[in-house]
Amino acid sequence: MSNGTFTGGIHPPDYKEATSQLAIEDIALPDEIFIPLSQHIGAPCTACVEVGADVSKGQKIGDSESFVSAPVCSSVTGRVTAIEKRKHFTGQEVLGVAIKVGSQEDQAKTNYLKAIPAWEEADLDELRKLVREAGIVGLGGAAFPTSVKLSPPADAPIDTVIINGCECEPFLTCDHRLLLEKTEDVIVGSLIMKRVVGASRVIIGIEDNKPDAIAHMTKATASYPDVTVTALHTKYPQGAEKQLIKATIDREVPMRGLPMKVGALVHNVGTALALSEAVRLGKPLIERVITVSGPGVKRPCNLRVPLGTPLNHLIAHAGGLNAAAARIVLGGPMTGWAQADLSASVVKGTSGLLALDKALAATRDEYHDCVRCQRCVRACPMYLYPNFLATAAEHKQWSAADKDGALDCVECGACAFDCPANRPMVRFIRDAKAAVMARQRA
Amino acid sequence: MREERKFSVTEPPHISSGETVPRAMLDTILALVPVTLVAIYFYRLNAVFLIGVCLLAAVVTDAVARKIKGRKPSVSDLSVLVTGLILALCFSPLTNWWTAVFATVLAVGIGKEWMGGLGWNRFNPAAFGRAGVIVLAPVTVFLNRQFAGWNVSFPMSPDVVDSVSGATPLTMIASPQMTLDVPHLQLLLANPGGGGLAETSALALLLGGAYLLYRQHITWHIPVSILGAVAVLTTILGHNPADHLLTGGLMLGALFMATDWVTSPITDPGRIIFGVLIGVLVVVFRVFLGPTEGVAFAILIMNAFVPLIDRLTRRGVFGQLNAAKAAAAKATATKAA
Ligand code: SF4
Ligand code: SF4
Repeated sequence: MSNGTFTGGIHPPDYKEATSQLAIEDIALPDEIFIPLSQHIGAPCTACVEVGADVSKGQKIGDSESFVSAPVCSSVTGRVTAIEKRKHFTGQEVLGVAIKVGSQEDQAKTNYLKAIPAWEEADLDELRKLVREAGIVGLGGAAFPTSVKLSPPADAPIDTVIINGCECEPFLTCDHRLLLEKTEDVIVGSLIMKRVVGASRVIIGIEDNKPDAIAHMTKATASYPDVTVTALHTKYPQGAEKQLIKATIDREVPMRGLPMKVGALVHNVGTALALSEAVRLGKPLIERVITVSGPGVKRPCNLRVPLGTPLNHLIAHAGGLNAAAARIVLGGPMTGWAQADLSASVVKGTSGLLALDKALAATRDEYHDCVRCQRCVRACPMYLYPNFLATAAEHKQWSAADKDGALDCVECGACAFDCPANRPMVRFIRDAKAAVMARQRA
Repeated sequence: MREERKFSVTEPPHISSGETVPRAMLDTILALVPVTLVAIYFYRLNAVFLIGVCLLAAVVTDAVARKIKGRKPSVSDLSVLVTGLILALCFSPLTNWWTAVFATVLAVGIGKEWMGGLGWNRFNPAAFGRAGVIVLAPVTVFLNRQFAGWNVSFPMSPDVVDSVSGATPLTMIASPQMTLDVPHLQLLLANPGGGGLAETSALALLLGGAYLLYRQHITWHIPVSILGAVAVLTTILGHNPADHLLTGGLMLGALFMATDWVTSPITDPGRIIFGVLIGVLVVVFRVFLGPTEGVAFAILIMNAFVPLIDRLTRRGVFGQLNAAKAAAAKATATKAA
């Protein structure tokens, strides 16, 4: 049934040894947090608190009427000091709510949702509503609202919930730690998903570079007949939705189609945990686990961080940056966002904060024409010809780029990683995507 | 303890495999070291001189051709050295230095730079130079007259001189009047037969090919289909396939010239088609057209078809087949309804 892998992909060094054996630590509260009102795919929220208002931990501070959206909640108890635009991790300015963090005692004051401990009998729409109110989005990085994913149309029945425990990005170990430390929550979260979409089984896919997690989860799921653990051959980008479905249940999602077309629903480990905490404790999504690592960080660690915490605060907890730090990346090194400084704040989709040194940080300012070495063709998990696609994009031949599958590219970066001509493949392809989409709208 | 440094912002991915064009070219040169050493062992300074001439001519031609286009020399990517070395290995130790220079100028100046430079050149430069001096025989004759008396040659051991001045193994197998009088094992291991420098040891070439395969610079598709096609066809035609596999520039061509990144297909099925057709052409040239250097011509002819082969053998996008199936199912369903 499962072939344990997919076609294409690359084998970057995983650099996980620095943090994979370190337990998740809590972090001291910062003085101020900044919660962007848009940190997910879909409509941005509007603030529902005012400057000067006292908010408590878990209280909703922004929401939207739109179906594809997720509210944001305060991760601390404190006072709203500003609702303004500040720098986002993407480099753009984004509207958000700044909150001055109250005293340690204040933090005991929480404003959580009403839990549904009897979720096994509860009404499905009640559960969906709770997931939405809790502001849960996919925590693997894409940040797609989970309540939307849990509401598949009737004509696309889902039989399998796949929990993504691949963590195929180098350096990141937060999901690995969650599997080991939050085992029960992950399992319960996946069972809630299974119940809500009416699936018959849960498969937890874990790459075989985490043998301890595989062993631990296999043991822990032994008493759950509907939950199985599948070990996958370590390869990037196994955690990409379509590749993971192929690797675990050997179904191929149709081109430009959604996983539900083949009866599958994929959620990240962290999302399962958030779902379990929301349903069992009424706790909204107000914190997440982040791996802080890389040769530029003095003390690599896995941290449980309140959303909205400034990156500077995380780095301070990790002992600061050393002189070698040359590039700051939010997320994993394959798809993450480079940061000019540490002023952005942690959002729901932030899985890592890395400081790479000069030797590791790739620059693609100087590059060569494609020499047709075939490496990118072998690497592309979407079976594209990245060489043709990127060359068309480089020369602004947008129709050719469209035909070469610009819109099918998942921007995994596997092609650029392995290109001996050092071509900035992802930059070219993003240009092409933007141009092709602009033409389609026109 | 606030961090006030500013960092560079670039798009992902933020790491890379460290593969580079010069690294790959260096690997190709390394892969050619074994056969080069065997050639030097037999032909002594004649081989060293010929290789030196080709390398120097390649570097100078590159610098001049790129200067004309207003660009800096590309020697640092090492690809001109690969072209120079392969070209030298195609020639017999008795080749005049001016013929070698002429071939190199054709290869690097016309075959590569004039055709767009590394990445855009349609034809394998070394094959282009090798075939060029044959096609442009009148020029070579003219050069021979101009430079008569300027020839350079160095002493070799008497055994080697004997075998070099006789018929080459390729002539023996390709002329109906002759039969190959060199044992296959000798051709495989080490044989100074007077053909191209690379013809001194098929095993040394195979070692180099294995290294390129290990470094993932080449895939098995092209060499296996060329050698396979030659073996099968010659067997059908009643020849001994080993005669053909071990002689002429076939091994060098199959492992190092036909596998050239820029001038071979980028799809795996395309590479098989490309290789099989090169094999077919080599056999046609050898069996029906007499003792010519058919390998370079076969490669060049197929180089011309690479864009077409690529276009015809492209794979579908992930899920494309399923998307098509779903569309078909929907169409039948609507028709039925
Ligand atoms: S073309 Fe897109 S999907 Fe394919 S390897 Fe490159 S970034 Fe990944
Ligand atoms: S990896 Fe780079 S050089 Fe090689 S074919 Fe792809 S784009 Fe061209």
